Amino acid sequence: MSRFLSREALLAWLDGLREGGTVVVAPTLVEGVSLYRQVPVASEIDLDASVTVVSPKEWLFPASHTIFTVERKDGRVDLRENTFDGRAVLFGLHPCDALGVHLMDVPFLAEPADGSYRERRERTALVGLSCIRCRPECFCTSVDTSPDDPTHLDVMLTLVEGGYVVAAASDKGEALLASAKPEEKALSLPEPPAPEKLPTEDLPRLFRALYDDGYWGRLADRCIHCNICSYVCPTCYCFDMRDYPRGNTAERVQSWESCQAPGFTRLAGGHDTRGSKAAKMRQRFAHKFLYFPETFDSQLSCSGCGRCVRACPVNIDIREIISDLKKIGVSSVGSGEK
Amino acid sequence: MWAAEKSRANPLVPLPATISAVRELTIDVNLFQVQFGDGGGFPYRPGQFAFLSAFGVGEAPFSITSLNDEGGPMEFAIRRVGTVSTALHDMEPGSVLGVRGPFGNGFPLDTFKGKNLVIIGGGIGLAPLRPIIKNALVYRDDYGEVVVIYGARTHQDLVFASEFEDWAAVPGVRLELTVDREGPGWDGRVALVPAVIKELQPTVENAVAIICGPPIMIRFVLAELKAQGFENHQIVTTLESKMKCGIGKCARCNIGEKYVCQDGPVFTFDQISGFLEQI
Ligand code: SF4
Ligand code: SF4
Ligand code: FES
Repeated sequence: MSRFLSREALLAWLDGLREGGTVVVAPTLVEGVSLYRQVPVASEIDLDASVTVVSPKEWLFPASHTIFTVERKDGRVDLRENTFDGRAVLFGLHPCDALGVHLMDVPFLAEPADGSYRERRERTALVGLSCIRCRPECFCTSVDTSPDDPTHLDVMLTLVEGGYVVAAASDKGEALLASAKPEEKALSLPEPPAPEKLPTEDLPRLFRALYDDGYWGRLADRCIHCNICSYVCPTCYCFDMRDYPRGNTAERVQSWESCQAPGFTRLAGGHDTRGSKAAKMRQRFAHKFLYFPETFDSQLSCSGCGRCVRACPVNIDIREIISDLKKIGVSSVGSGEK
Repeated sequence: MWAAEKSRANPLVPLPATISAVRELTIDVNLFQVQFGDGGGFPYRPGQFAFLSAFGVGEAPFSITSLNDEGGPMEFAIRRVGTVSTALHDMEPGSVLGVRGPFGNGFPLDTFKGKNLVIIGGGIGLAPLRPIIKNALVYRDDYGEVVVIYGARTHQDLVFASEFEDWAAVPGVRLELTVDREGPGWDGRVALVPAVIKELQPTVENAVAIICGPPIMIRFVLAELKAQGFENHQIVTTLESKMKCGIGKCARCNIGEKYVCQDGPVFTFDQISGFLEQI
């Protein structure tokens, strides 16, 4: 027997949570573009959303957000941290995006944890939706997840005739479902789709061998440093912090940055530790496939969502890079063609 | 003076503190003393750094130049080069700034115990070395001979000049000063730092060399030390890299897989030569 929620019952459950004060963040069409936003009413959720243009990291790690405000008055300085003390449901995460949240948890929750991220994360439940079809750019099964994988989620939904099969994937999820009132039904789950499978085994070792290869320079040549790949990515977490003064007050704002941005690593004196295009390009992929797994004793820092593949204006394609690493790596490990 | 809901929960949020005194060290370097309010402040080790905020302008990392064990106020020697350092230079005693720290591994003082120290600094690079010098003065018996070789462009660019006499007066401590260019008011040595090392030929055996200064100086000093017989593992330096967070998150300071803000900024040349990304 499975627990079943009709489409209406699902929306009623979410509206009930919302009316109880929980923020519901879900894919919704913003001028025709599917993005994760706080929805005023559950019926505005784009339930059929495939992979959104920008990842749901926007909720946990906003594109730009004030960490604290300082105010000067009568010779004193008051510092007020910007806090979030509500509750939220991040709804409609496909398994790749659930893995994406996990891969964001790994660095941000590692002690000393990023305070703003930890606060939002602890107060957010993840409700997932298994995939009924893949897009050509999807490769989640190559990076430790799959179209029906509930790992890292609190609740998992699966689309069936007339509604959803709902399952708790954690205690937090079970508690969240207390108000859902599902029906018990005998239902069989659909066969999940099968995305492209890439040769991701052994990537850190292959990367090490090709670290100084001329490949990175050749690839980087066409990058226009638009940073889009990092912005749409659920696992990219570089950030900047800047002050914005306004009269007697000033805000410190934490915002997304990209390792592809010119000047990202330039010092005040002018020296740049990753000044060349090749060094920048290698950083993006070395971080995901080598540094991250080694630093955090974790899996690769990529969720297989394919967003960067769609977004890059010059067709720099992470799938191709994975295949190339394998190809060049196997044929010429150590030859180090420059 | 200031009121804050003090929370160390977010390591990206600084503690407000007050500039208690400012001392001019050179024409463009000031020494700032920083005082925390009740219950503020934190202990720190030689070689660690902190981010200072000029609220409304921004934040930048600076090495802590005081010695925690002396119990005095926290001190920073800051050269006016960027927007944050300029804003700090424009502040008067009594002004409020933000302090976040301590970050970094600091110098491996335990491995220095019982050894002769060859401390080599260039320009403002003396700032991170000053706590090691002070430490060797306070715990004199823990170390062998201490030679400080310090150079700057002109004698007017030598920082902490008012303390030299006290340092050199301690038995077993030698201070060798040099400048690149002669000028009125200087009758001391005129030579580049590597040349001074060559001249002095510091004992290699049971010694550790600690270098801090501009990258070009480090390069030539390293070559000279090698020529004198120093091995990579006997040479320690601090690396510079663009830093925003200090806690291994903003992914900016890394050189290959090494995060300068957490794994460093202090490395031996043994470690540096093993880096994946060569510098
Ligand atoms: S690197 Fe590309 S495919 Fe991987 S998680 Fe980021 S956007 Fe998705
Ligand atoms: S999206 Fe493509 S062009 Fe833009 S920064 Fe990324 S790799 Fe470069
Ligand atoms: S300064 Fe941010 S990762 Fe090192």
